[in-house]
Amino acid sequence: MTVYKGFLTITRRNIHLMILYLVIFLTIAVMAQKFTGGKTTDFEQVGLDIAVIDRDGGELAGGLYDYLGQYHTIADLPDDPSVIQDRMFYREVYYIVTIPKDFEDRCLYGDELLPVTKVPGSNSGFYVDQQINTFLNDVRIMVKSGFTLSESIAEVTESSRETTEVTLIDKNGFGGNRPFHAFMYQYMPYILISILCYCMCYIMIAFRNPDVKRRMACSAVSSRSQNLQIILGYITVGLAVYLLVTTMPVLMYGESFTADPNMPYYLLNSFLMTLVALSLSFLIGTLVSRDEVVSAVVNVVSLGMSFLCGVFVDLEILGKSVRTFAQFLPVYWYEVANGLLADNSTLSQLQQTSLYTCFFLQLLFFAAILGVAMVISRIQQKA
Amino acid sequence: MQSANIIQIENLVKRYQNLVALDHLNLTIQEGEIFGLLGPNGSGKTTAINCLLALLKYDKGTITIFGKNMRPDSYDIKKQIGVVMQNVAVFEQMSVRENIDYFCGLYIRDKARRQQLVEEAIAFTGLEEFTKMRPKKLSGGLLRRLNIACGIVHKPRLIIMDEPTVAVDPQSRNKILEGIVELNRQGSTIIYTSHYMEEVEQICTRIAIIDHGRVLATGTTEELKQMIKTGETITIESIVLDEPLVAGIRKLPHVFDLSYEDQTLKIRLGTARHNLVRILNYLQEQDVVFGRVFSELPTLNDVFLEITGKELRD
Repeated sequence: MTVYKGFLTITRRNIHLMILYLVIFLTIAVMAQKFTGGKTTDFEQVGLDIAVIDRDGGELAGGLYDYLGQYHTIADLPDDPSVIQDRMFYREVYYIVTIPKDFEDRCLYGDELLPVTKVPGSNSGFYVDQQINTFLNDVRIMVKSGFTLSESIAEVTESSRETTEVTLIDKNGFGGNRPFHAFMYQYMPYILISILCYCMCYIMIAFRNPDVKRRMACSAVSSRSQNLQIILGYITVGLAVYLLVTTMPVLMYGESFTADPNMPYYLLNSFLMTLVALSLSFLIGTLVSRDEVVSAVVNVVSLGMSFLCGVFVDLEILGKSVRTFAQFLPVYWYEVANGLLADNSTLSQLQQTSLYTCFFLQLLFFAAILGVAMVISRIQQKA
Repeated sequence: MQSANIIQIENLVKRYQNLVALDHLNLTIQEGEIFGLLGPNGSGKTTAINCLLALLKYDKGTITIFGKNMRPDSYDIKKQIGVVMQNVAVFEQMSVRENIDYFCGLYIRDKARRQQLVEEAIAFTGLEEFTKMRPKKLSGGLLRRLNIACGIVHKPRLIIMDEPTVAVDPQSRNKILEGIVELNRQGSTIIYTSHYMEEVEQICTRIAIIDHGRVLATGTTEELKQMIKTGETITIESIVLDEPLVAGIRKLPHVFDLSYEDQTLKIRLGTARHNLVRILNYLQEQDVVFGRVFSELPTLNDVFLEITGKELRD
């Protein structure tokens, strides 16, 4: 087992790379978790910084001011177009509503619309438009129903204070939120591809050195045995890295992960990704023959796949064309499967079929990449 | 002590498309020899070694080592062969000790025995102080010594060394050559290829001169020297000669070759007594003034020059 031991010795020499990538991985996972707080689907009402220029000063104008003040922060702004423009330019306010003179006659009893200034392209202004319309419509209805203006304004303002209870459907057993370990599994392809490609490429280059190869061909160990020992080395390192990355969510999230009914699927999905990463490392190791090139190639492959396939950026955010292209990459199918597992604790028949399809496609990618690498290796040997 | 044939190569032919690298090569090497394969670059030395080690397929001929046909899967034969390649073949990621242990492990399974052999190889090549260093940190000479340590660590019966002293400083070269003689003394048969004639002359018990894939001559250094006409080379410096004088010298007995360039006269003579006296007397008679005079016995270079018609380092 000399070749196997040599393989592991060279792997040990690259252990600092593994540690480096694990630290990067953990940092990304922890940071993502911190920024999102694990809450990706919570409902939260948000307010804007707005300004109200009141040229009317009447009761209805005051009522609208108070009404909007319940939802937003109202900045004090002089009625000066240059000041308004400046504040808007520097995003100190996002929405400015100007209440004209005779507001009541023109807008409540008439059809005139309130002049508003919004940040161009901002969709948040839409909500303020809605709120102003709601206020005016409600007051209008109540006045027509016989209430006085004061009563109507007070009633509408009062009723708007009632908040709506929003409850998210808990599809995954984590209150509708993505579990923390799902984030870790989302980033896992990056770490698997990086670590395995780096380590294996350096080992492959060492063993593919023509002088070393010739020297080993002169030895008493058959080339078949040498190859088998190298394959065994691959399997050992692959399993070790897989166990290492699997241990991390267990250590970090404990029962939250182990009690997740989808845990076996997470394990299977990441195992298939390990196989894909191993075959990728074999392919790159076959193509690259210089140490200096390894870093560049591995970075392009690992980061490229990670950005294109939803490792660092959620698949939902990616453009349609990017997603279409990503379908030709194995990491995409890993992420689709991971998304299914993260969002659902119980998988429907259709979801299960999708999950198994993702697993199968990853296996296909593994076989295809391995096949291509072996053909290239054979061609190189013959040359 | 020389005994049975350890290697027998018969009518070996190796072609690379139209190029004939080995042209009916015949060689016999006996146990206990340090056998030198001498030839210029491209003469077929490395091809012959590669065929011998079954690294290359050949077109015709037979190779027998230890009385058995050598094939790529002749692991029982390979087990008894140590190889020191022309290029240093070690792992950059492993230390000196790990490299020696690795290559020893390709032949010896027993860990205790291997440990002992590794220590011996380290001591033999003088690498004790560098065992923890990586090959990248070693000088050219030390790297060559590591290469040799990896090749001989399992104490093989036959050691093949393909130009092991290329690009090595004189001090390291001497140490390597002493080591090779010591290995031979310990019982290993050695095949040594080089284009450094002094080395071959210094350590080899028998030499084969090879060119264009053919063995042109085989024998001990003395036997090879006796095969050629040159018995002595006389060099006279700071001498001014005209054409008639040069022609006169050329006609002297036993002179068969002469060159006169930059006031230096080089005369090659056959084996005979008083060659130098005869030349000097003639020059005195002709009132020719000259500077320093040297007389040299034939070297392997002369042998090579006469047999192949070219200098070895051409």
